[in-house]
Amino acid sequence: MIDHVQVLHLAAGVFLLTAVGVLWRRQLPAKIRLLVVQGLALAAMVGIIGVQRGDLALVLVAAGLAVLRAGVMPAVLRRALVPGAQERRETRPVVDVAASLLAAALLTLLAYALTRPLVALDPTPITAVLPVAVAVVLIGFFVLTTRRRALSQVVGFLLLDNGITATAFLATGGIPLVVEVGVSFDVLLIVLVLQMLTLRLRATVGTTDINELRELRD
Amino acid sequence: MNILGWGLTAAVALAGLGTLAALVAPERVRPMLAGAATAGVGGAGLAAGVAAVAGVGYHARLPWLLPLFGVELVLDPLGGLFVAVAGGVSLVAAVYGIGYAARGHGNQSRSTQAVLPLFVLTLLLVPAAGSVSTLLVTWELMALTSLVLVLTDHRARPRVTHAGLWYAVMTHLGFVAILAGLVAFAAAAGGDTFEALRAARLSPALAAVVFGAALVGFGSKAGLVPLHVWLPRAHPEAPSQVSAMLSAAMVNLGVYGVVRVGLDLLGGGPAGWWLVVLGLGAASALYGILHAAMASDLKRLLAYSTVENMGLVFLAVGVAGLFHAHGEERLAAVALAAGLLHVVNHAGFKTVLFLTAGSVLRATGGRDLNALGGLSRRMPVTTGLFAFGALGAMALPPGNGFVSEWLLLQSLVHPPAGTGVVTAVVLPLAVAVVALTAGLAMATFVKALGVGFFARPRSHVPERAVESPPLMLAAVGVAAAACAGLAVAPTALGPALSRVTGDTLDVAPAVVGGALTVRLAGIASTISPVLILVALVAAVALTALLAQVVARRPARRRDAPLWDCGAGPPTPRMQYTATSFAEPLQRVFADVLAPETTVDTQHASPYLLARMRYQRRLPDRIEYWLYRPVLVAVNALSRSARALANGSVHRYLAYGFFGSIALLVALVVIP
Amino acid sequence: MTDSLQDPVTAVVASLAQVAVVVLVAPLLVGLMRQVRARMEGRVGAGVWQPWRDLRKLFRRQPVTPVGTTWAFRAAPLLLVATALVVAATIPLLTTHTVLDRVADLFAVVGLLTLGTVVLALAALNTGTAFGGMGASREVTVLALVEPTILVAVFALSARVGSTNLGQLVDAALHDPLRVVSPASLLAAAALLVVTVAETGRLPVDNPATHLELTMLHEAMVLEYSGVDLGLVELAASMRLTLLLGLVASLFTPWGIATSLAGLPLALVAFTAKVAVLAAALAAAEVLLAKLRLFRVPELLAGSFVLALLAATTSFFLA
Repeated sequence: MIDHVQVLHLAAGVFLLTAVGVLWRRQLPAKIRLLVVQGLALAAMVGIIGVQRGDLALVLVAAGLAVLRAGVMPAVLRRALVPGAQERRETRPVVDVAASLLAAALLTLLAYALTRPLVALDPTPITAVLPVAVAVVLIGFFVLTTRRRALSQVVGFLLLDNGITATAFLATGGIPLVVEVGVSFDVLLIVLVLQMLTLRLRATVGTTDINELRELRD
Repeated sequence: MNILGWGLTAAVALAGLGTLAALVAPERVRPMLAGAATAGVGGAGLAAGVAAVAGVGYHARLPWLLPLFGVELVLDPLGGLFVAVAGGVSLVAAVYGIGYAARGHGNQSRSTQAVLPLFVLTLLLVPAAGSVSTLLVTWELMALTSLVLVLTDHRARPRVTHAGLWYAVMTHLGFVAILAGLVAFAAAAGGDTFEALRAARLSPALAAVVFGAALVGFGSKAGLVPLHVWLPRAHPEAPSQVSAMLSAAMVNLGVYGVVRVGLDLLGGGPAGWWLVVLGLGAASALYGILHAAMASDLKRLLAYSTVENMGLVFLAVGVAGLFHAHGEERLAAVALAAGLLHVVNHAGFKTVLFLTAGSVLRATGGRDLNALGGLSRRMPVTTGLFAFGALGAMALPPGNGFVSEWLLLQSLVHPPAGTGVVTAVVLPLAVAVVALTAGLAMATFVKALGVGFFARPRSHVPERAVESPPLMLAAVGVAAAACAGLAVAPTALGPALSRVTGDTLDVAPAVVGGALTVRLAGIASTISPVLILVALVAAVALTALLAQVVARRPARRRDAPLWDCGAGPPTPRMQYTATSFAEPLQRVFADVLAPETTVDTQHASPYLLARMRYQRRLPDRIEYWLYRPVLVAVNALSRSARALANGSVHRYLAYGFFGSIALLVALVVIP
Repeated sequence: MTDSLQDPVTAVVASLAQVAVVVLVAPLLVGLMRQVRARMEGRVGAGVWQPWRDLRKLFRRQPVTPVGTTWAFRAAPLLLVATALVVAATIPLLTTHTVLDRVADLFAVVGLLTLGTVVLALAALNTGTAFGGMGASREVTVLALVEPTILVAVFALSARVGSTNLGQLVDAALHDPLRVVSPASLLAAAALLVVTVAETGRLPVDNPATHLELTMLHEAMVLEYSGVDLGLVELAASMRLTLLLGLVASLFTPWGIATSLAGLPLALVAFTAKVAVLAAALAAAEVLLAKLRLFRVPELLAGSFVLALLAATTSFFLA
């Protein structure tokens, strides 16, 4: 019989690896695919917690998360991609890939150091996975900071949000449904707005490279 | 719930109703509804304040109203005095405002009329606050509502926007100072309510920091030099009834704050604090009246006079604190009573003055004294009321300003035996400062009354003036009657003042007195304002009688032209203007005032002038020496800080990222 | 040292006597000063009774109202005389227990005298002539600058007595003659003499005999008055001079002031003598002085302020 804990750890591992993968892969469609996988991993983690607690509401939340994070949002992002080979590729990021991966490792260590006192408060197998969630938060922030293309930054933002959601569920064992729904709607709205802005940006400026925007200041 | 509770509840209810009514009513009815509601709020406040001063206490907790801390209302005699003053002033000013708006005068926009009842409500709530959070919230509400009111005419005149900007910045800087000081105090005390703060034991350094922050924040609201620069800009530009409320009710709350924090919550402090307060008060008094003497804009003159009077009040409070620190409780009580009585008296005569200035503005459209004149024939009642207010402002008997000035001087001229060197030097200088401000105040108000109202119009501005509508005159008349009451029967306030000072300083009553004579505890001087008035009236009657008797023939007066040196009838341009009246004083004080003179000449030939242009400006020197360098430095700093925001989104994100990482690393490293 | 004067009826009688004496003596005092000046300048002089003759002439003239003036102009002389009468009933000249002694103290007396000047300045502005404005503007400048000296001198005098009521001040001086010659007292006396000169418009602050535009202060304010009004103004001016000189005499040479009803005649003689001596000395000094430029007057007043401040601080340190 497969142990809940083992499945949880597997999901957490996939969660972290997808985050690192977003840092590694250059192609935008690949990043979006990784985001889908990450959403499923997140949903799996939440579902396992729910099953372990016997909390049906939590399982339903997990299903909702799967739909939202693995389905709706990547679909919205894909719509922002215009067919054309150039646009699908991330240009040189501000920090190159090797350094990014190194940074990801350092951030994971930092996350582990940070959450040690938190884990010590309530040492269960579930909270032991907390460092992973915080690491994904930090990696998401890093992606947001160091990628040039607007869509990459949106991907980073979504990583950030996934990580925060995971932290919330792992640390507290669940946030009220109302809060989760509210946050999810917020994030959806943000993604929609950013998608429209990206399209508009491409139409007006010709590119979505953020650094080109410097020309706009007076 | 006792009368205080009912009073405050009524005030809140009326304010809410008034705001709603003003928002939905059509323009014709709007000022009446807003004015009536404001008058109701003022009246409720007056009743509540009077009851509080008479000894009725009130305490209410509303934990659900504000998040985290809740609202705590406590009305003790000290707060009650200020609530009563604010309520009375607002009542009169609101009724005046209703009269002002007749026939479409003034600005009746929705925002102004709706905010007016709320502003008066905040004036009542600030002294009733019983905890730090309540005080901060009501203070900020007061600042915001008064800002909206000051900006009423900003579409019509660009100066209003400028004045509003100064006011907004300075009041919020003051708020930050108050916030910092009081929050530090509450953190050290471990509690939010004033009782907790009273019981706290602070280290001397922290207490000094808290007091300094409170002095800066509350002092700037009261117009304490050098933080006064917003007052002469903002008070004149507001609508007239709002000017009266700002000058006669809102600035008092600065004094309330310093007395509450310094004498009540911190329990008095070392003498050094109060020497600073005294020094700043003296400087404000002198600086304010000097600029008032030079001002030719009537409302600006009155605003500077407010700076002067608040300076005198701070002088009194400083003396009270000084004596309290030396253990001379009797004298401290007298000095504090003098300061509080001056607050009440000032509210009275400043209301009269600002409202009559508003009448002049409404009737003539101008406030420049150099263009006015001849109003005593066209607006006799207004002139009489202004003269009455000016008598109070000049601190001459039998006016009401004289009594509080007398009380202040009494507290200064009876030093206890064995005082130190500092007191021996400070007290005579304080007396000298009070005397000089009294002298300059006389010059100022002789100028305002004589140049603005008497003789003939100096330009076409006052030619179409007519007397104000009866409602306005009635409102100002009520304020003048209050001043008269304070002038002849200051002993009626004696028990109230004794209760306030006794409550704040824990001493026996200070102002004792019969019905007619003002007597002080521990000081042998006495005075009887009502009998002075009676004696004066009797003497005038006697003189008139004797003059009639001595003149053999029944005297019938004959009219004759003025002495014109034989050159033809004097034109109105030959009269002394406000600027020329103040010129000798300006020359005497030229070092302090430092006027700027510009002379442009155009020569037709080496010996003959074709044209000459002379301009003299008298800017506020403190602005020039203190504020301009600060503004220049801030500008330079902001320009160099623009490099931080160069348009690169990555840089902004990097700021956030590295900031967060640094914080997290710090959390890990520092145990 | 009987207390019969504290009985209200006798206090009223004594105060009325005091007022009457002041009214009668005031023009005589001005006449005396003019006579002393005349003799010193080698002139015969008009005699000590000339001011009374002038007043009689003025009171019988038809009063004239300049065109354009209002009630303020006509009320000012009445109010001026009224303030002088109230002050005359307050300050201890013949007796230390005047009827208004507990009603008005030294600050109130100063305030009443200032009220008179302010009313006159307002009347001057009411006329709307350049002379009126000029006189008013200069007068209030001098008034503003003389206030600190007066009040600090009051401080110096009252600090050791514990009260600012004049009766108590003079009583204290009577009981302790040595206090009168203390440094504080002498400095305060000097300061108050300068104040008297400034307040009453004598040389070197103002020339009461001039009507030249550049040199007038008080005279410029009353230029438009004539008849009864002018008579009242002149009477008030002479009364103020008498009162201030009497105040200086009472505070610094209090001997002779009546403490019982029987002592009133002696007090009368003493008062007249003291005031006459002071007035003659003042007149003699005036002959030797020239009028100061208006913008030199603040220097004089600052000097008197320094004297008063020194008086106040020495009263602390030398007890």
